[in-house]
Amino acid sequence: MSSNPPLLDPLVNTYVPASRTNEVLRNDLVAHCQDILKSHIGHKAEPNFTQLTDSVKRRLLQLPAGSTSASKFNNLVARLLDQPVLTRKQEAVTFLFALSSLNSRQQPAIQLSFPSQPPPFKNSTNNAASDAPANLNREHGRSNASRLRDYRIYKGNSHINESLLVRDTLYLMQGISGKYVRFASSKEEEKKIVFNTDSHNIITAPTQALIHRLAELGHLYCRVENFVRERENAPGVGMIEQSLCHYLQAQLTEYYRLIAVLETQLSPSGRQGTTSPDDANPTEAETGLSLRRLDVWVNDWRLRMRMMSVCVEGARGAHGGALVNLIHSYTDNGDPFVRKFTDELLEEVSRPFFATLHKWLFSGELYDPFEEFFVTADSSLGHILYVHPSSIPGGINNLGNDDGFGADADDFLGQRDNGKKLWETKYRFRKDMLPLFVGESFGKKIFSTGKSLNFIRYSCLDSDWVVTREKMSNTGGILQYGDIGGLERSIDTAYQVASHRLFEVFIDKFKLLDHLYALKSFILLGHGDFADQLMETLGPSLGKPANTLHRHNLTVDLETAIRSSNAQKDPTGVLRRLDARMLEYSHGEIGWDVFTLEYKVNPPIDTVLDQEIMGNYLKLFKHLWQLKRIEKALNLGWMRVTGGIHTFIRLPQMEFEWHRIRLVMAEMVHFIRQLETYCRLEVIECSWKVLVDFLNKKEGDLDALIDAHRTYLERVTKKILLWNSKPGKEELLLRQLGEIFTIILQYREATDNFYNHCLTESARRDQAMDAERGVYTGNPDHDADVTSDVLSALLIRVKEYGSHFSDKVQAMVQQLQIHPDLDCRFLGVRLSFSEYYKSKKDSQPVPSSRGSQA
Amino acid sequence: MSTREAERNASAQQTLDILYEIATLLNTQLDKATLATCIGMVENGANPEALAAVIQELRREGGARDANR
Repeated sequence: MSSNPPLLDPLVNTYVPASRTNEVLRNDLVAHCQDILKSHIGHKAEPNFTQLTDSVKRRLLQLPAGSTSASKFNNLVARLLDQPVLTRKQEAVTFLFALSSLNSRQQPAIQLSFPSQPPPFKNSTNNAASDAPANLNREHGRSNASRLRDYRIYKGNSHINESLLVRDTLYLMQGISGKYVRFASSKEEEKKIVFNTDSHNIITAPTQALIHRLAELGHLYCRVENFVRERENAPGVGMIEQSLCHYLQAQLTEYYRLIAVLETQLSPSGRQGTTSPDDANPTEAETGLSLRRLDVWVNDWRLRMRMMSVCVEGARGAHGGALVNLIHSYTDNGDPFVRKFTDELLEEVSRPFFATLHKWLFSGELYDPFEEFFVTADSSLGHILYVHPSSIPGGINNLGNDDGFGADADDFLGQRDNGKKLWETKYRFRKDMLPLFVGESFGKKIFSTGKSLNFIRYSCLDSDWVVTREKMSNTGGILQYGDIGGLERSIDTAYQVASHRLFEVFIDKFKLLDHLYALKSFILLGHGDFADQLMETLGPSLGKPANTLHRHNLTVDLETAIRSSNAQKDPTGVLRRLDARMLEYSHGEIGWDVFTLEYKVNPPIDTVLDQEIMGNYLKLFKHLWQLKRIEKALNLGWMRVTGGIHTFIRLPQMEFEWHRIRLVMAEMVHFIRQLETYCRLEVIECSWKVLVDFLNKKEGDLDALIDAHRTYLERVTKKILLWNSKPGKEELLLRQLGEIFTIILQYREATDNFYNHCLTESARRDQAMDAERGVYTGNPDHDADVTSDVLSALLIRVKEYGSHFSDKVQAMVQQLQIHPDLDCRFLGVRLSFSEYYKSKKDSQPVPSSRGSQA
Repeated sequence: MSTREAERNASAQQTLDILYEIATLLNTQLDKATLATCIGMVENGANPEALAAVIQELRREGGARDANR
C-alpha cells in the first residue's frame, strides 16, 4: 500500500480541482481514500475470470444493441489476455466493471447512503465516519425485528435457537421427545406435545404451531410403528395383514431415510449454531434446515402417514378380505397421490389373496390357513384330506394323498352317502370377505369354479386332470390387483373350463344322462313293455296283503320282467341299480300300496340325484304305477265285457245292461288313456327335452345342473300330480283322481261280480236246458227269486259306480278347465274334447260359474 | 536494450488502449491518464472495488464542490 499515496494525489487532483490549492482538503481526501482502500469492500468478488466476464456480458446484453457490445467486449478481453504487461488483469477488469455505470448494484447504495450522513470530511478525522462505508448495508438494514431481538437478549429471555428446535422436531418426528419439546407423558394426553419453556427460553406461538404440525407426523409414526410391532409378535395374524405390515414397514424405512437425509442437512448448521449463534443464522438460512423447510420436506409424508394411520385403524377390526375391501374403499379418490398410494398398498396387500385365489381357481384347493379368503371350508364335514396338506399342522403325513385314496375309497363310499350335502355345504361363500374389486358375480363364479374343481378332484376322483390343468394355468401369467381385466378373463376362462369339465365328467365318466334316462324309463315307466311285463308278473301277488309279500319274490319278478322286455338291452350298470322293494307297511295294506321300484345311485351322481329327488321319483312312480294298474284292470275288464260276454253268456235280457256297462267302461278307458297320454307326452317328454337341451349345452356349473334337474323333476311332479298352485287346493285334484281310481276299481269289481253272476245264471240256464234235453249235468242249486234279488243289487251297484264316476270326472274336468297351469287345462280340454262333459253339465238345471271357459 | 524498452512501451500502450476501449464500452467515464493511474494502483495491489469506490467518491466530491461554487 505504500506506493498508493503518491498515485492517489493525481486522482484527487483530477477530480477535485480545488484540492490543488487547498492542502488540507487534499490531505483529508487522500486519507479518506486510503481508508476506503483499506476497507473490505468487495471481498466477495467473483472468484474467477470467466465468471467475471460472464457477469459483465450479462449486463451488456441488457442494454440496447447489447449483443454487439458484448461481442466487442469479448474481443477486447481476449486481446487483453494476450497482453504480457499486466499481471492482474482480472482485478483491472473488476475495477472497470465496478466503476461502470452498467453496474447498478453499488451506485444506488452509495448515493442513498451519503446524503443521510454528514459529509465525513467535515467531522475531521472521525473513526465512526470511516467505518460507515463498510457498515453501510448493515446499519441501514437494521429492522425492528432485529432490534427486538437485541432487546430480548438484553432482557435475558431469548428465543430458543431455531436449529435446536429443528433438531428436537426431527426427534419428535421419530416419536422421541426432544429437549425443548416432548410428548406428553400421561396416557390420556397422548396426542399432546409439551413445550419446555421458561423465562429464558421462549418458543413463539407461530413456531409452536409449526412444531405442532410437524409433530403430527411423529404421532402418526408412533401409531403405525406400534401396529407393526404388535402384529410382529401376535400369533395367528393373517397373511393379508402380514403383507400389510410388510408394506408399512417398507414405507417406514423410506421415512427413516428421509429423516436421515434431513439430519445430515441439519448437522453442519447445528455445529455453527453452537459456536456462534448470532452469526450463524444468516448462513444457516442459506444452507441449513429451518422448521419451515422441514415442513415442506415432510409434506408428502404427512399425507402418506395419515393414510397409513387410517389403514392401521381400520385394520384393527377387519380381517382378510374385509381388510382388502377397506383399503379398496380408499382407492376411489380424486387425489392422484392418494389413489397412487392406495393402489400400491393394495397391490402389496392383495398378493396373498391372489395367491389363494390362484390356488382355488386353478386347482380347487383352498389354502387359507388364516381364514381370510371369501370361501370357507366346513371343517365339520371332516374331510380333512380335502384341505391343502400344508395348512394342517403336521399335515406332512397326509401328503401321500393319492396312495391314501386307494385304501380309503371304501370309506369314502360309505361316508359320502350324501354327495349333495357335501357339495352344498362343504364350502361356504362369505360375502363380507369378498374384495369389492372382484365384484359379486365374479365372486360367485370364482366360488363355483373352485368348488367344481375340488369336486372333480376329490368327489369324482379325477385329480389327474386338475393337476394337468393347474400346470397349464401356471404359464398363463399371475393374477394381481393391477390387472383386473386380465383377472376377469382368467376367471371366465377358468369357470368355463371347469364347468365344461364337470359336465364332461358327469356325462361321460359317470353317465349321468344314462342314469337320468334309466330313471325316466323305469321309475317313470317309460319302458312300456317292461311296465306291462312287470304288471303281469307282479299283478297277482300284489293283490295279497303286504305282509305276505317277500322281497326275493319281488326281485325275481322284476328280473323276469326285465328279461322278457326290451329293458334287457339296457346297460348292465343301469340294471344293476334297479331294485324292487316294499315300503313300510301298516296293517291291512295290500301289495299295491307298498310296492315300489327303486333306483340306487352312488356318489358322485347322488350330488344331482339326492335323497329328496329320489323321494320325488318314488312318489311319481307310485302314482304312475297306480295309473298303470288301473289301465291294466280296465283292459282286462274291457276284454271281459266285449269278448267274454259274447262267448260265454247267453242272456239276451241282460244285453242292455251290458251295453250300458260297456259305455261307462269306454268312458273310463278314455279317461285313463287321456291321462296317460298327457303324463307321457305333454309332461315327461317335454320336460325331458328341456333337460337334455340344457345338458347338451354344457354351460353353467354343478349348481346349474342340479337346478336344471330339479326344475325338470318339479315340473314333472307338479303336472303329473295336477298340483294346483292355489293355496289350500294343492292336492285337490290328486285326491279327486284317487277317488276316481277307487271308483274305477270298485266299478270293475262290481262288473266282475255281475259278470260272474251272469256266468252262473247262464250256466244255470244251460243246465236247465240240458235237463230239458234230458242231459243231466248236476242239480240246479240256485233259486230264481234269490237270483233276481242279487241281480238287482248288483245292477244297482254297477249303476251307482258308473254315475259316480261320471260325476267325479265331470267335477274334475271343471276343475281342470280353470287350472292355472296351461298343460293341465289342456288335459281338461282333452278329457272333454267332444264337450261331452260340458253338454252334460249344461243340461243340468243348476247354473254354474264356469260359463264360457270351455 | 532500447528496442526492448520500446517494445515494452508499445505493448503497455496497446494494453492501455484495450483497457481504455473496455472502459469506454463499460461507460466508466475515465480518461486515459486516470485510467493509467488506476491500473497502476491495481497492479500495485490495490483492492479494485475499493478503488472504484474511491473514484466515485472523488467524483461526487468534485461534483459537490462544483455545485457549491
